[in-house]
Amino acid sequence: MLSIKDLQAKVEDKDILKGLNIEVKPGEIHAIMGPNGSGKSTTGYVLSGREGYEVTGGSITLDGKDLLELEAEERAREGLFLAFQYPVEIPGVSNLEFLKASVDAVREHNGLEPYSTVDFMKLAREKCKSVNLDQAFLKRGVNEGFSGGEKKRNEILQMMLLEPKVCILDETDSGLDIDALQVVAEGVNALRSEERSFIVVTHYQRLLDYIVPDYVHVLADGKIVKSGGKELALELEEKGYGWIEEEVA
Amino acid sequence: MTDQVDAYLEKDYAAGFTTDVESETLPPGLNEDVIRFISQKKGEPEWLLDWRLKAFNVWKEMSDPNWAQVNYPEINFQDVSYYSAPKSMEDKPKSLDEVDPELLETYEKLGIPLHEQAALAGVAVDAVFDSVSVATTFREKLAEAGVIFMPISEAVHEHPELVKKYLGSVVPQKDNFYSALNCAVFSDGSFVYIPKGVRCPMELSTYFRINEAKTGQFERTLIVADEGSHVSYLEGCTAPMRDENQLHAAVVELVALDNAEIKYSTVQNWYPGDKDGNGGIYNFVTKRGVCHTNAKISWTQVETGSAVTWKYPSCVLKGDNSVGEFYSVALTNNFQQADTGTKMIHLGKNTKSTIISKGISAGKSDQSYRGLVRMNPGAEGARNFTQCDSLLIGDKCGAHTFPYVESKNPSAVIEHEATTSKVSDDQMFLCQQRGIDPEKAISMIVNGFCREVFKELPMEFAVEAGKLLEVSLEGSVG
Amino acid sequence: MSEIISKAAELAKKIEGPEWLNSFRTLGLTQWQQAKWPTRKTEHWKYSSLRAFNENDFFATQVHRQGGDEQKLSSELFDIPGLNASRLVFVDGIYSEELSSDRYPLNVDIVFFSKAEGAHKEIISEYLGSAIDLEKNIFARFNTADLNEGVLIQIKQDQKVDQTVQIVHVSTKGESEFTAQQRVLVIAERHSESTIVEHFVSTEEIQNSFTNTATELILKDGSSLNHYRLNMEQENIVHVGNVSANLRANATLNSFVLGFGGKLKRIDFKVNHLGSGAHCEMAGVYLPKNKQHIDYHTCIDHQVPHCTSNEVFRGIMADESKAVFNGRIHIYPDAQKTYAEMSNKNLLLSHKAEINTKPELEIYADDVRCAHGATVSQIEEKALYYMQSRGISKKEAEVMLSFGFINELISGIKHGPIQNLLRPVLARQFSRDEELLKHII
Repeated sequence: MLSIKDLQAKVEDKDILKGLNIEVKPGEIHAIMGPNGSGKSTTGYVLSGREGYEVTGGSITLDGKDLLELEAEERAREGLFLAFQYPVEIPGVSNLEFLKASVDAVREHNGLEPYSTVDFMKLAREKCKSVNLDQAFLKRGVNEGFSGGEKKRNEILQMMLLEPKVCILDETDSGLDIDALQVVAEGVNALRSEERSFIVVTHYQRLLDYIVPDYVHVLADGKIVKSGGKELALELEEKGYGWIEEEVA
Repeated sequence: MTDQVDAYLEKDYAAGFTTDVESETLPPGLNEDVIRFISQKKGEPEWLLDWRLKAFNVWKEMSDPNWAQVNYPEINFQDVSYYSAPKSMEDKPKSLDEVDPELLETYEKLGIPLHEQAALAGVAVDAVFDSVSVATTFREKLAEAGVIFMPISEAVHEHPELVKKYLGSVVPQKDNFYSALNCAVFSDGSFVYIPKGVRCPMELSTYFRINEAKTGQFERTLIVADEGSHVSYLEGCTAPMRDENQLHAAVVELVALDNAEIKYSTVQNWYPGDKDGNGGIYNFVTKRGVCHTNAKISWTQVETGSAVTWKYPSCVLKGDNSVGEFYSVALTNNFQQADTGTKMIHLGKNTKSTIISKGISAGKSDQSYRGLVRMNPGAEGARNFTQCDSLLIGDKCGAHTFPYVESKNPSAVIEHEATTSKVSDDQMFLCQQRGIDPEKAISMIVNGFCREVFKELPMEFAVEAGKLLEVSLEGSVG
Repeated sequence: MSEIISKAAELAKKIEGPEWLNSFRTLGLTQWQQAKWPTRKTEHWKYSSLRAFNENDFFATQVHRQGGDEQKLSSELFDIPGLNASRLVFVDGIYSEELSSDRYPLNVDIVFFSKAEGAHKEIISEYLGSAIDLEKNIFARFNTADLNEGVLIQIKQDQKVDQTVQIVHVSTKGESEFTAQQRVLVIAERHSESTIVEHFVSTEEIQNSFTNTATELILKDGSSLNHYRLNMEQENIVHVGNVSANLRANATLNSFVLGFGGKLKRIDFKVNHLGSGAHCEMAGVYLPKNKQHIDYHTCIDHQVPHCTSNEVFRGIMADESKAVFNGRIHIYPDAQKTYAEMSNKNLLLSHKAEINTKPELEIYADDVRCAHGATVSQIEEKALYYMQSRGISKKEAEVMLSFGFINELISGIKHGPIQNLLRPVLARQFSRDEELLKHII
């Protein structure tokens, strides 16, 4: 489904990714773990096509389609979703109009009719409820004045509405307390299916208690240095990242 | 606030004494002959005399600027004497031992001992007395590092190629009324050159003293930091207490070539006039620096003196990635007036500027921040942040903010904020209730207000600046 | 005296109007003739050039063009759907009975200066010119010099006026260059509540008039006035306007200001807080494009204690347009316990657009809370990327973000029909492509 081969990328002349390989099949959950500065967030930005992140080698394909050829919005329409670590606030643009613009664009791409305003309102309200967000949030500016937890839930809400093929969760657990973490994890788990895959980027193992991965990859210095099953995450939690770096060296 | 505090009024301006030396002073008046006289006194080459005369002709066509938020009676430029020097300086003393002890004592009293063994460690001083430089310390030591630090009148002879190349290159003769006047009649000032890659081993400083009555001081400072060099420079200023107003119209030019850094600090304590607004210095100064690629110029000023201040230390950010900074504390009390601020002209890509201005108005004084931030079309990705805060002490003073923000580049980001506040009764009461006397409380609050700027001053002067503020605030509570 | 000033003065001298207005005209003319024609060195006109007056002969022939073609005008130009309005329509400064409402609410007196009698005449004599500062506004001097007509709108005491009074000014293209003038005097009597809309439109893109307007708002004790100033004329209009308000004790002025650009559009606002407890709320939006120019100068005077003001202006400059904003807060000695804030944010959409902003504070009292802020930036890259990562095209995201920049102020418009009118009109300033607008309109 999502195939990342020998991906190399740089930011402001600094090489960050140095040959990343991950193969994600439908329905799988992959966790990418690694110390700070290993290139975790960059992976999410490069996959989603952020400007300023220059791919210098390798390939990314989604169901055989070359993502590197596409703009950020085109990748999103192909079914790639990045849940941000720090979702930006956009005062003046209401959450509702933002969500509708986004859902309309993706549906149009898939040859579907846009929702009517009324239907969309209904749908959005429903999804709000399922991630425990007050409906009032729909009227407010995008993420404007939201707490950390509310922003993360807004990300999951968008994920639910867009029904992507591949979801990348970029440190979705950072800054969340246990309760908020559970709400977010429940949202993610509700979206799990045979066709949908997840890449969970995280520094800590605790999120993986709730979103159980099939594979765990350790990212260090822009490369996957070790892969394993979910037990690898526990090992990392216990021993830290030092031993892996030693092992690799 | 409380009446008891009125009792604190009146502390003397500590630098207000006069030095009794015999001086050669030109009679008041300004014409070509005066300019020729000054030029001849300094034994200047022909080109410099021509340069002065050209400036004089430009000046005659200009008029006194009236846009600043200051009021003062029209200055009769024919009533000012444009040259005064102690007679003992006539023969150019070879060493400090030959300098008139009266003069040395003057600086001693001001806390600036000129004998190297007694001097502040790590600080070289050029002492300018009225129209001449009296002494420049540590010249030999600086010369070892290749640093040139000498009166500009000597630099004209010893390093003519440098002076000729850079004099007027940042502030042209016709820049403004007072700069043109300065170009015509400047008497002395300091010249600094830091060679490529050299980090100046000492703080450099110039101490300006006006002594003679009815004279103006028109000094000129030129600092050139060659590629990759670094220098920190400080100037201080005082004058005797006199009932008349005296004119000070200086020009400071800074050139920071690629990767160079100049830190320029000022503690300005010209005589501010008495509590009824009589006397004091008119301080009309043009200060500007040019930053080439990756260079940085930082202006830090603590302004407590002068009857009227008109001054805008500026940066022309010409080179890509260059940085300009302006940190200012200005305090006005009694009848003082100040219109001060900065200009940041962004020409190069990714240039950055920061402006932090803290104005404290007390008594019946009036103070304005006037600033310009300009993003030219080429200033791709440039940034400016400006914060102007005013603190009012008492209800008879004024505090004003006039920022000009101009942008012609969409990728440039400018943020400007200004606030005004007062020392609140609650704050005062809290301090008093904790046993702190009101004057001390005010000074604590004011110092806190200025902290962001004080931390930019060289260490030795930060303490002095705090004290100066305390003295200048005397009598402001009431 | 500059040539332009003397030429205009000659025209003003020819104007005939009610005799009882002669003293105003003489005062205006004297001051106009003493005026120095502003240049780029005149601080108030530093960023706005008056070269349009050299390029066009606005004072050439008649000062007031005769109306006449107004029958052909469609009221679609200025209709505000859903608005229950009493409408006064002026075409190039001349009142058009045809296009105006035939009935006005009972609790409002609407009187033309030329027809004023008795108490109305007295009230005009008393208040006309009382809010405007002729010293600082030279075009207001000319407006006064040339005064032969005007309209008084007097809101009666203790009355709440439900009907909005809409004053429409239509600019048309004349056969040759000309000047159109307008003078409005609004008096909100004690404890009255009302809404006035000053609505400026034009018939076609190419204009050749100079419009010079002066509006005075007198808010007496406890009155409340919602004031809308919509300068929606397009392209190459030359418009100089002045709005001056006097606020007595506990009066509230809510002002919303909108400006599209023009060849030269310059509007001065002056709000005088003269009675304690007065409050002024001002929101403004300017959206120049192409090669347009717009200049707002606002001055909020706090002359007495215990007054508040809050001013928010936002501007978006597209193409090769240029905007000027100068916002001054002036706190007089003894105006203690004043609370005044001002914010001005700007978005530059193009490399050839330009903004000059100057937020000013002039403060002579210590126990006050005053702050101002100004920013200039472009659309935030982070926000653009976030929207793109959700499948929204870059173009639509840009339009949504531009509109979002002013949306807060548009949403803040309390007057439903006006908000409904403006929302699509403003959105279309950012794109003509309805596809890109569908999520914001």
